[in-house]
Amino acid sequence: MTIVRNWPRNIWSWIRQVSGDAAYENYLRSTRRVARAEMARAGCCTIHAGPSTRATSAHLLTREEFYLHALRRRYSTISRCC
Amino acid sequence: MKSLLKIILWAAIALAGAGALAAIAFERREPLNAVWFVVAALCTYLVAYRFYSKFIAAKVLALDDTRATPAERLEDGHDFVPTSKWVLIGHHFAAIAGPGPLVGPTLAAQFGYLPGTLWLIVGAALGGCVQDFIILFCSIRRDGKSLGQMAREEVSKRGGMIALLAVLAIMIILLAVVALVIVKALKESPWGTFTLAMTIPIALLMGIYLRYVRPGRVLEASLGGVALVMLAVVSGQWVNASPAWSSAFTLSGPALALAIIAYGYAASALPVWLLLAPRDYLSAFIKVGAIAALAIGVIFVRPTLEMPALTRFVDGNGPVFAGKIFPFCFITIACGAISGFHALISSGTTPKMILRESHARMIGYGAMLMESFVGVMAMIAACALQPGVYFAINSPAGIVGKTADAAAATIRGWGYALDPQTMSALAQRVGEHTLLDRTGGAPSLAVGMAQIFSGTIGGERLLSIWYHFAIMFEALFILTVLDAGTRVGRFMVQELGGHLWKPLGRSGSTAGILATSALMVGAWGYFLWQGVQDPLGGINSLWPLFGIANQLLACVALVVATTILLKMGRERWIWVTLAPMVWLVAITMTASYQKIFSANSRIGFLSQANVLATQIASGAIPAEKFAVTQRLIFNNRLDAAVTAVLAVMILVLLVEAIGEWIAILSGRKAAVLHESPYIATKWAEGGD
Repeated sequence: MTIVRNWPRNIWSWIRQVSGDAAYENYLRSTRRVARAEMARAGCCTIHAGPSTRATSAHLLTREEFYLHALRRRYSTISRCC
Repeated sequence: MKSLLKIILWAAIALAGAGALAAIAFERREPLNAVWFVVAALCTYLVAYRFYSKFIAAKVLALDDTRATPAERLEDGHDFVPTSKWVLIGHHFAAIAGPGPLVGPTLAAQFGYLPGTLWLIVGAALGGCVQDFIILFCSIRRDGKSLGQMAREEVSKRGGMIALLAVLAIMIILLAVVALVIVKALKESPWGTFTLAMTIPIALLMGIYLRYVRPGRVLEASLGGVALVMLAVVSGQWVNASPAWSSAFTLSGPALALAIIAYGYAASALPVWLLLAPRDYLSAFIKVGAIAALAIGVIFVRPTLEMPALTRFVDGNGPVFAGKIFPFCFITIACGAISGFHALISSGTTPKMILRESHARMIGYGAMLMESFVGVMAMIAACALQPGVYFAINSPAGIVGKTADAAAATIRGWGYALDPQTMSALAQRVGEHTLLDRTGGAPSLAVGMAQIFSGTIGGERLLSIWYHFAIMFEALFILTVLDAGTRVGRFMVQELGGHLWKPLGRSGSTAGILATSALMVGAWGYFLWQGVQDPLGGINSLWPLFGIANQLLACVALVVATTILLKMGRERWIWVTLAPMVWLVAITMTASYQKIFSANSRIGFLSQANVLATQIASGAIPAEKFAVTQRLIFNNRLDAAVTAVLAVMILVLLVEAIGEWIAILSGRKAAVLHESPYIATKWAEGGD
């Protein structure tokens, strides 16, 4: 019943995801998830000095920065077929 | 009780599919309704997905959902992003679906509907889907490595180099042949040329909007862009009706080719956000919308197929392209059945975003089934035309003659009814000056699609608008392939060239960018120019070359997959990849041999060159055509050399791989897999 009630929202969300419209939200969510996981790891273990890995050390990109960055990455490899 | 119901349901689906396939194969009281094709394809896909892909997932690959995928282990918010399978299949399908599954089946319809349809359905279920699925799995297990990297690590260093060269070769030939399809569709067509030209400022507007006004708001920019493109399609009729505007947008084949070459150079060198990316968004929306509309239209209109099951051209003397069903039907239809290019997508972005190993089945196998269905719909649209009309549109003037009367007389001589008036009336109905000598497949597909669309919405009144919508849809996403392909080709040339001369390899160097863009555009531009100048239409020589290159890449992918299965200890199941590989080697080698050495001058490049050389020697060529003929001779010899290089690459790779397989099977060499180590997932099982 809930699925039926939520279908317009689900379809809209699917369209946003597939079209790439939600890419920046996904990036923020993903970056925060990675940061949380790294913090949890650091909390239960000895904290090592030195550069931290991946997203925790990176500053969050603005929407515009992320858009340009994502385009550069996508079009430097084969992304469209014949 | 529940399992009994399931058995009954699957038996009913299998029987319906078998019945529909039998009707297509054995029914000779033509014409046949398109519903048979839809039922045959959908039922076969359901059975193949439910049973064969499940068997591969469980027994051959042993997919393991307890194992963390690269998207989980290496998540970075950029490349490695865990993504729902329902979203990822959309991304993957949009990436693999290009002009190939539309144009290939349309060209292969010259044999009749039967060979192409069977190859589309069976080839996809047993070959293309298997390749995409297994390569996706292999890449997931190797942190998203590319096909070239996997070939280098799992087969040999030479295998990796062959994969790289094959990719570059296929890119150059692919870009030339798709550009030729646009030239053939738009030459002397002011309405079509205007519509396509308008997509450039529309894409630039979208680019500026997405960069400066509302960064990254893809959906709103794309919806605005689609609305403007539809407006351009509709306003094209007024351009067509105005003598001044019409003459401004009426371009000859060579003029269009030069314009496309200039455009390709600009798009490759300009910032990606300005033209390439917005055009890609626009194209993706229109592509998915048009394909969905075609599927709905086919089901709603249920057109009757006018083309016979087999035409007289199974003898190899077809006007669209020369050569018998074996091997040329299987070379011509690549992307709808099996396409090596897909292996690049399956080992590109998709494996980095997959959430669970088991999702590879739906995304790899399932998306390719969808692509195959696109090919079946293209076959339906092409075969719904009267055969005489189909051959009049797709045959070059060099074969059927330059005038409507000559074309009609030649085609009637083949046994297909056609009045010269039929063609001029049809051209008028779709808003074109002529539909004769429109080789390349796109115009005949557009006529077929327009008939299906207008049967659903608008009727005869909207036929011309639907025709130009279909032309715009095909040309738009061909141009996107051209933009994106030239850019990636430029990176590959930069990477290779950097080894020879360091400044060429610097990605930020303007001179390097301009020089490598010129090299890449010059390479495909040369083949395009050759196709435009070809008196036999160009498609006859370039499309088989593209098919051979594409299937060569599929051979590379299946060799890699077979080697990995052997190393995984799955000797018992290697027929899953070995059988399609043997088939592909057989068709690529036969096609290569025939394209080089056939005594039929319409098939063999060398014999065509010899015929022209003899004509020059005997004085049959007038002095003013001397230079053009010399160039045609050179082009034919060049095409023969390119084909030979591709064939040698297949042989070298096979020898390398077979040596590796024998060494592993005889125990002389340890089967070392280059998989990433097992790390258990931390996410709840079954979560999306």
